Amino acid sequence: MNQQPPSSSRDVRMARSMCWHCQSELAGEYFCERCVKVQPVSKDMDYFTCLGLPRRLTIDPSVLEANYYERSRAFHPDFYLNKSEAEQAISLANAATLNTAYRTLKDPIQRAEYLLDLEAGAVKTIRTSPPADLFEEILELQDTLDAYRAGSPSSEQGRQLLARLQHERESLERRQQELEQELLRLFGEWDTLQDRGQADEQSRRERDRLLKRMREILSNRTYIKNIVNDLVESIG
Amino acid sequence: MAYSDKVIDHFNNPRNMGSFGKDEEGVGTGMVGAPECGDVMKLQIKVQDNRIVDAKFKTFGCGSAIASSSLATEWLKGKTLEEAQQIKNTDIVQELNLPPVKIHCSVLAEDAIKAALADYQKKAAAKTSSGSSQ
Repeated sequence: MNQQPPSSSRDVRMARSMCWHCQSELAGEYFCERCVKVQPVSKDMDYFTCLGLPRRLTIDPSVLEANYYERSRAFHPDFYLNKSEAEQAISLANAATLNTAYRTLKDPIQRAEYLLDLEAGAVKTIRTSPPADLFEEILELQDTLDAYRAGSPSSEQGRQLLARLQHERESLERRQQELEQELLRLFGEWDTLQDRGQADEQSRRERDRLLKRMREILSNRTYIKNIVNDLVESIG
Repeated sequence: MAYSDKVIDHFNNPRNMGSFGKDEEGVGTGMVGAPECGDVMKLQIKVQDNRIVDAKFKTFGCGSAIASSSLATEWLKGKTLEEAQQIKNTDIVQELNLPPVKIHCSVLAEDAIKAALADYQKKAAAKTSSGSSQ
C-alpha cells in the first residue's frame, strides 16, 4: 500500500479502472480480461481514443471506418441477447457512444470543433474578436434580401436585386470554400506540431495561434453558411 | 417548440429596427455574433447628456434573437448609461419567456448592449482627450 493521502480524483480513477462485475483491475479497453464482461466506455475517454486513433486532425477515412466497424461489431445487440440486463445496457450505451464518435470524427468540420473543445475546454475560452466587416456585410445583404422579397421579382428593380444577390451568393460560397481549404492546411500544421511533441514556449505560442485561427475560421464559416442558406432559400 | 406571444409580437412588429450612422454624434455601436448558431446582432444607442435618447437594432438570426434585441432597444430608451449597464440577459429571458435552448439569444442581446455602451464610452473618452489637448 502506498502512503499517499487519499484524493477524490484518484478514487474516481480507481473506480473506473475496476471491472463492474468481478472487481478485478482492468487492463483492456472494453472487456474485462478475467470475466470477459463488457465494460462501459469511460466518460473521460475522448472520441479519438474511443475509435483507436491518435488525436490528429488529418484522418484516413478508411482507417476510421474500419476501426468503427470493428468496435461496433463488438457491441452489437445481437451478441447480447442472452446476456444479463446490465451487459445489454452497457453494450447499447457503448454502441451509441461509438456512433456519436464516428459521426463527429467523420466530418472534418465537426472533428475540428470537437478538437477545439478538447484542447481549449469550452469554445468560448478561445478569445476571438468578432469579424465586424463580415457582420456589416451580412446585415446589409439581409436588407437587400428583404427588399427583394418585398418587391415583385419580375419588375426591373426585382431583376436587378436578384442579380446582385446571385453575385453575392457566389462570392460568399467562394469565401466559404477558401476558409475550408485554409482549415485543412491548418489541420496539417496542427498534426505536425503534435508529432513534434515539444513543450517549449514557441510550440505553445504556435499551438495557441492555430487553435485561435481554427476557431475564427469555424465561426466565420457558420456566419457565412447561415446567410448563404437564407439566400438559397429565397433566390434558389 | 412554440414561441411565446411576446416573442411573436416582437418578431412580427420589431421595434426600432434600423441603424444610425456609425460616426454620428453620440452614437455607440455594438456588433456581436454567436459562432455556435451564426446569429449576428447590431445594436446602436444614441446618447445625449448621459441618457440614451434613441436605440436601433438589426439582427440576422432566429425569432428569439430578433425579439431579444427588439426588446433591448425598447428598454434602453430613456435609461441613463448606468441604468443600461444593469440590464441582464435573465431580465430578457423572463420578459420573453424564452425556453432554455434560446437563452443564448438573450445573452447575445446583453453582449450587444455592453458592446454599444463600451463603444460610446470609448468614443466619448477620445473626444474629451482630443478636446482638452486643443
